[in-house]
Amino acid sequence: MSILFLGTASGAGKTTVAAMYCRHLYRKGARVAPFKALNLSLNSFVTPEGKEIGMGQAFQAWASGIEPSGDMNPALLKPSGNGKIQLVLGGAPAGETSRDSPMDFRRVMGEACAAFDRLSAGHAVVCEGSGSPVELNLMHRDVANLGMMRERSVPAVLVGDIERGGAFAALYGTWLLTPDDLKPLLKGFIINRFRGDAKILEGGIRRIEELTGMRFLGVLPYARLKFPEEDSLSDSGGDLRGSSAMEAFIGNIDALLEMAESSGLDFAGLDEISGY
Amino acid sequence: MDVEKRVEAEMKRGWIGSRTKCKYHPCHFKGQDCTFCFCPFYPCGDPRLGREIESKKGEKVWECTFCLFIHRREVGMFAMSEIKRLGIESPRDPRLRGVFQSAVERFFRPGKALMVLGATSDAGKSVTVAAICRILHRRGYLATPFKSQNMSLNSKVTPKGSEIAMIQTVQSAAAGLKNPDQFMNPILLKPKGDTVSQVMVMGAPFGDYGVEEYYGEFVPGPGTRIVGETLRFLKDRYDFVVMEGAGSPAEINIYDRDIANMGAAKIAGAGCVLVVNVEWGGSFAYAVGTVMLIPEEDRKMIKGVILNNVRGSTAGVRAGAAELERILGIPVIGVIPHVDVFLPSEDSEAFRGMTSRGTGRTQVSVVKLPRIANFTDLDPLYMEDVTVRFVSDPKGLEGSDAIIIPGTKNTIDDLAWMRESGFAEAVSAMAGKVPILGICGGYQMMGAALRDPQGIEGRSPSEAAGLGLFDMETEWSEYKKKVIQDRGVLLETGEPVSGYEIHMGLSEVRDPPLFRIERYSGDETEGSFIRERMLFGTYLHGVFDKPAFRKFFLSFAEPGGGPAARAEPRDFDDAIEESIDRLADAFEENMDVDALIRIAEGGE
Repeated sequence: MSILFLGTASGAGKTTVAAMYCRHLYRKGARVAPFKALNLSLNSFVTPEGKEIGMGQAFQAWASGIEPSGDMNPALLKPSGNGKIQLVLGGAPAGETSRDSPMDFRRVMGEACAAFDRLSAGHAVVCEGSGSPVELNLMHRDVANLGMMRERSVPAVLVGDIERGGAFAALYGTWLLTPDDLKPLLKGFIINRFRGDAKILEGGIRRIEELTGMRFLGVLPYARLKFPEEDSLSDSGGDLRGSSAMEAFIGNIDALLEMAESSGLDFAGLDEISGY
Repeated sequence: MDVEKRVEAEMKRGWIGSRTKCKYHPCHFKGQDCTFCFCPFYPCGDPRLGREIESKKGEKVWECTFCLFIHRREVGMFAMSEIKRLGIESPRDPRLRGVFQSAVERFFRPGKALMVLGATSDAGKSVTVAAICRILHRRGYLATPFKSQNMSLNSKVTPKGSEIAMIQTVQSAAAGLKNPDQFMNPILLKPKGDTVSQVMVMGAPFGDYGVEEYYGEFVPGPGTRIVGETLRFLKDRYDFVVMEGAGSPAEINIYDRDIANMGAAKIAGAGCVLVVNVEWGGSFAYAVGTVMLIPEEDRKMIKGVILNNVRGSTAGVRAGAAELERILGIPVIGVIPHVDVFLPSEDSEAFRGMTSRGTGRTQVSVVKLPRIANFTDLDPLYMEDVTVRFVSDPKGLEGSDAIIIPGTKNTIDDLAWMRESGFAEAVSAMAGKVPILGICGGYQMMGAALRDPQGIEGRSPSEAAGLGLFDMETEWSEYKKKVIQDRGVLLETGEPVSGYEIHMGLSEVRDPPLFRIERYSGDETEGSFIRERMLFGTYLHGVFDKPAFRKFFLSFAEPGGGPAARAEPRDFDDAIEESIDRLADAFEENMDVDALIRIAEGGE
């Protein structure tokens, strides 16, 4: 039982959507755990067991009603400036990577799969992708997106951000560029950050369904949430550790979940995809 | 007749090319030919160059204000050599007609159009158009920017008193043009909420439209006609019309009704390039999805892709670009690195969430009104030792060295918000302690009373007490917009200021004025200034663009208790000019300009 939320670009809203879905399953009484195979982030969190993981997974764990653990983010890349990137594997530092000495893709993929298997033994696993899954120059050694689809057949949902426009193009282009053998795993799509009357989108949504066979799962309205954004682009929400921040976050996620439910996000469809 | 005498003198004088010493040079475009300041062919009667209008007295008059033909170097030179060769001495000589006809035959070519499409809103279309305009200008072409439909809260007034989007005026400067005009942005949408916009046509208010009425009524009717007319008009005057799309061209839910992207490109017969911002990732998906969602018959108009805003090394993107070319069969004509440039703020989504900008010593707080408009007024402050804080909570005013109440789309509603949120009280409490400036709607709020007896500004008739900082009353008595460019001096120092006014309410001012504005009809005073209480108010947008007022206003701020120390401020226009050049350099270095020109000419 697993599901993978992919973004059409950084900041499309996958972290939040994944957290919200974790919360949804948790409220349904599921044992659920978040997972991001490979995270590029400056904001990290140290778990009670002393493992360093991405901040986003810590929040998603809390949304799932469990303590964060190392397996939730087996590989973390921390930009340290000068084109150098620190690699954290299994929660512990594992050297540096750079353009000239890229990370060992096979090793990272292996670690990611092992962690995923451990988590999925006892949980529904809600996975989050990283960046766009179809960067033509990087997709052959992708870990968090196509990597998990290929290695563990995780069914995926695309999250497209409509705030800047071009959401239909982003969804269709991502589907087109996904390798043919993995396309069947692209089950559905969500349009995020919409403002105004969603009726105007109908024609476009039908067309994307026809063209791709992906199922439309809903439109999420624009919401500005206090949430630690995942990618290194956005400014961090600050260190939100400590109970009051955590509570505030949980409150936010609950509010978002209710907003999603009332705006008609197709949770039944998501549950069907995740197999829960 | 006076004009005939001038033409006669010009004929005698011979070819002179550009008159760079002339006080008004260049009055049309950089590099213009000034041999004929007054056209020897007037009235030519050629409908491609001018049109017949009715004068105030009801007479038919030939109007050719926007014609640039005689100011093209080759035309001026040819006309003069023919006049000399034929020995024409009088502007009434019928042989001038023949000279005109052969000049038109030789040199008149309808221009070509290039459409710059973006995969998303912030793809970088605007800067790409600015860069292309500058590059074409450098190569000696006469180019003009064009955006059929722009949704923006930042507008500017042209010399002829039309209101167009700010960014088109910047692109116009990039093309070396002196006078931005309403043809460059014939439709301007000023959002009034998530679903309703005020529609401006040819620089003047046209009406308010909701999304459905806009696409259902306006676009198929007047919209399409206006776009067609303005494009034809511009092509008759310029070598290249560099068009900018709006949002994404692949919004398939409104594709048939979109006159901002492929719709306009089809009308213009434009070659298209697609700009994709690489910064957020997913750029290849955006590029492929955009092209493939456009119907096949239109898709072939897209002849190049520009990958924009690459941070760090471009090597990775180039590797992907080769694959992209293979998939799409469309060449990637540019991979452009991120360039740090200083250009007017755009209404990007980024602005909605922005809480501060800059890291300077002086803390200038801007009240972030819910309907804030013309916030490009603040741009020149970013060049100074200033941090601009956008404050949505009155508590945020604490520690400010200066406060600005900016312009608004609706003064009355935002004044009510000022009261509810506690801003009105907080700002008033700081009067006399730190300098406070109100611009346009912010200035109106600083007055004693605001009266809208007919509900012109608000939705219904209303009357409100202002902050009472100025002895001033504002009234909206008729549905009429004051739209005008202003030039004058700061009364305190005598130094130059410039700006533009866009407002409906008119104010009766009883405090000492801030500026003297020069007008044909005689000088006027403008604004309010109470030195002891450090209160400033003006209707002038762009008031900080010239250094004089910026320096003066900031001199009242005392960061850390002491005077603000700063270098001599620069003219904002100079900073923009320099940015355009750096941008154009980056594009010239990283884009195949010849390929771009071939695309525009339709040769590929």
